[in-house]
Amino acid sequence: MKKLAKFSKLLVILCLLFAMTACSKASEESSAQGGQSQSAQGAQGAQGANAEPKLIRLAESFCYTSLDIHKDYYGWYTSIYGVSETLFRVADDMSIKPLLAKEYSVSEDGKTWTFQIADAMFSNKTPLTADMVSRNLQRAARENERFAYLASFTYATEGEKTLKITTPDIYPTMLSDLTAPELGIMDLDNTTDFDNAPVCTGPFVIKSFEPEGTVVVEKNAAYWNGEVKLDGAMFYYMQDDETKLNAMQAGDIDGYTSVTAAAKQILAADPASYVLTEIPATRLQFYVLNKNRLDDKVRQAVNLTVDLNSIADFLGGTVSPAVGPFSAAAPYGKVTKPAVDTAKAKSLLEEDGYVMGSDGYYAKNGETLTLSIGYYAARSLDSIAVLMQDQFKNVGIKAVLNVQEDPDSTYVATGEYDVALYCMIADKSGDPYYCCDALFRKGSKWALAGFANQKCEDLIDQLQYETDVNQRAKLANQIVQMSIDDNAFGYVGLFNKTTVTAKGVTGIAENCPFDFYGVSADTDVNK
Amino acid sequence: MIKYVGKRLLHLAWIMLAVSFLTFLLMYLTPGDAASKKLSAQGVAVSEEVLMQTRENMGLLRPFFIQYGDWMLHAMRFDLGVSFKDGFPVAEKLWKGLKNTAILMVVSILLSLLAAVPLAFLAALKKDSVFDHGIRLISFVGNSIPNFLISVLLIYFICVRAKLLPVVADKSVRGLILPCLALSIPIISRFVRQFRAEFLEQLGKPFVAGARARGVKEFYVLRDVFHNASINILTIVGLSVGTLLGGSVVIETIFRWPGLGKLAMDAITNRDYPVIQGFVLLTCAIYVTVNLITDISYHFIDPRLRER
Repeated sequence: MKKLAKFSKLLVILCLLFAMTACSKASEESSAQGGQSQSAQGAQGAQGANAEPKLIRLAESFCYTSLDIHKDYYGWYTSIYGVSETLFRVADDMSIKPLLAKEYSVSEDGKTWTFQIADAMFSNKTPLTADMVSRNLQRAARENERFAYLASFTYATEGEKTLKITTPDIYPTMLSDLTAPELGIMDLDNTTDFDNAPVCTGPFVIKSFEPEGTVVVEKNAAYWNGEVKLDGAMFYYMQDDETKLNAMQAGDIDGYTSVTAAAKQILAADPASYVLTEIPATRLQFYVLNKNRLDDKVRQAVNLTVDLNSIADFLGGTVSPAVGPFSAAAPYGKVTKPAVDTAKAKSLLEEDGYVMGSDGYYAKNGETLTLSIGYYAARSLDSIAVLMQDQFKNVGIKAVLNVQEDPDSTYVATGEYDVALYCMIADKSGDPYYCCDALFRKGSKWALAGFANQKCEDLIDQLQYETDVNQRAKLANQIVQMSIDDNAFGYVGLFNKTTVTAKGVTGIAENCPFDFYGVSADTDVNK
Repeated sequence: MIKYVGKRLLHLAWIMLAVSFLTFLLMYLTPGDAASKKLSAQGVAVSEEVLMQTRENMGLLRPFFIQYGDWMLHAMRFDLGVSFKDGFPVAEKLWKGLKNTAILMVVSILLSLLAAVPLAFLAALKKDSVFDHGIRLISFVGNSIPNFLISVLLIYFICVRAKLLPVVADKSVRGLILPCLALSIPIISRFVRQFRAEFLEQLGKPFVAGARARGVKEFYVLRDVFHNASINILTIVGLSVGTLLGGSVVIETIFRWPGLGKLAMDAITNRDYPVIQGFVLLTCAIYVTVNLITDISYHFIDPRLRER
């Protein structure tokens, strides 16, 4: 018994010691964060001794383990944090505006681009030079597989501020590519810790970075492009939608994006406290109809059956019904598609030899018309699959749902589907080529569904090298219209970017359709 | 005793080898790979050429046994490699996750024991009383409510309505309260039912009736009941460690607590084989070690085992 008592005491003491150690460690971390706040306050103190620091607290669904702009998608977040900037940026209306490059010109053969670098400087007050830009782009090519193509360009500088980039072929998407947040510019000579503290040109500088945790930024006192209204910002990593909603309601955060339909309802009920902003964004939900397994009339019947408005209603306004892959507001989003017509869908099936059976489904040669819908449970595709199944049932088409965790290595790779649901960013940075190339090319992963054809391929080739913006839009519209007319694709919805902010909070890119912008010099809090 | 411990540690090596192989095989056979997950993390489409190049860089195009053998050779030198997701050392990531999970786990188990042992003991002593029925009902409800619901309810009532604690908590003691409560409520409920059954079994044994018949003071009778029940209680606690190690992913996500559960879940989603393998080895080692410690502790608690 005595030994038991001794053992129990020892166990309790060990546990307490462990807990205390953990707590003291946590306290150290906590006080470190407190120090950051004080530091942010200190920055404010320079402006007014007794003034409250203007800080904003935001929740983010993602937080990576590194801030190295050129690697993976880390640059998206340094851009959201207002730390890094690119040569060009995409405006809210999807037009491309100069940022770190103040001017550009392109040679007659379309292969040499000349950029005049703006009179920008890094947060350490080092002026930005063309050489630094050139080295950044080359580093991105080395560090990021998606930008490896930049290594095939040649870079030359003239003086401090002129950069010439020569491409092997005509490269009309140069400006659009340079808006990619992964091509943000760092001071490569003076950044000593790329993972935790990149030195950049943005309106904010990293104060503290906790990998996959909280990120604290403070005002860049040396910002080159105007007055920064805020003293600092905190970004809390919150994956859970309920946690974000609760944090918003508790007043722990000042805003977040990707508000769910349920949260939107709750927050909209209190307009005195919250401002909801909703705009169609760039993430597209679509389906592919397998031409190798479905004949023309069945595909046409399917497209006449899918009611996008009722899907959008069901999804609580989190998506906007799509006509094509791009926003109808963009010049390359001007396409049309037939309205829902279930009577016509039925007559098409009957013309095709299908007969309505006693079970309420069409059948031909004794075989019920059954479609396999491949989908994965993300981005509301699971809801869409069920809604489509129900809509198909109403016209007499039976649908079997095939859910997979990884679409790319299952139904997309094998082509074993009649209808394949998918979601991707359709407009990466204000240009249609990337999407046309990814969806309609002969070598694309969707080619197994049988859409790719020479006419389309020729148009995409033209789009690849076309330099006139209006002509590019025209070509893109032609290509997308072909996919619609051929009943090869169905565009369901463009995800809305729904942002909630506390009253008085403005400028957190709530009107920008792209996901990779966040706080800026204009972000303000006036509660 | 040393021979016994040595034998168990030898078993541990075999278990770890088998588990690591099975895990590697299962992940290899699961559709999807780290390259495609990494490249499409933000929903951007990438070309087949870029995908294949990334696979090549990650060594994913090598045959299964080469990949596993390579990993195993490094693991035997205590080198768990780097994460496919971000290139950071796996050991570093696991250590960070383990520290956070251990804090959550130890505090939750202590809290659970502090609540469950007296409640179960009293419920067993007052069997079929109103108190007993009440405790059983509450523990039944507590055991039935899923973790995420408990978490959301706690946040709503404590943070949003009462504003006693912030939703955005750091890793301080204040930040520990809600996740520990959320984790402890189902554990307390389960422990109460299991401990009560154990106490009842001991109370029904002839030595209790005998002692009472001999006029032994009730305090000493109950002390012996408690002592005898403690072996099984220890087993239950030991087994729950394994559940807590990997099972707190929901709590870790909701409360932004970067522990092992969330690390493992993210690694599985991203097909981050080095991290998954490291996690499996670590949890396997912890689970076996905790059970070994539990078994060894029997020797201290039960003198009969010492004599064997």
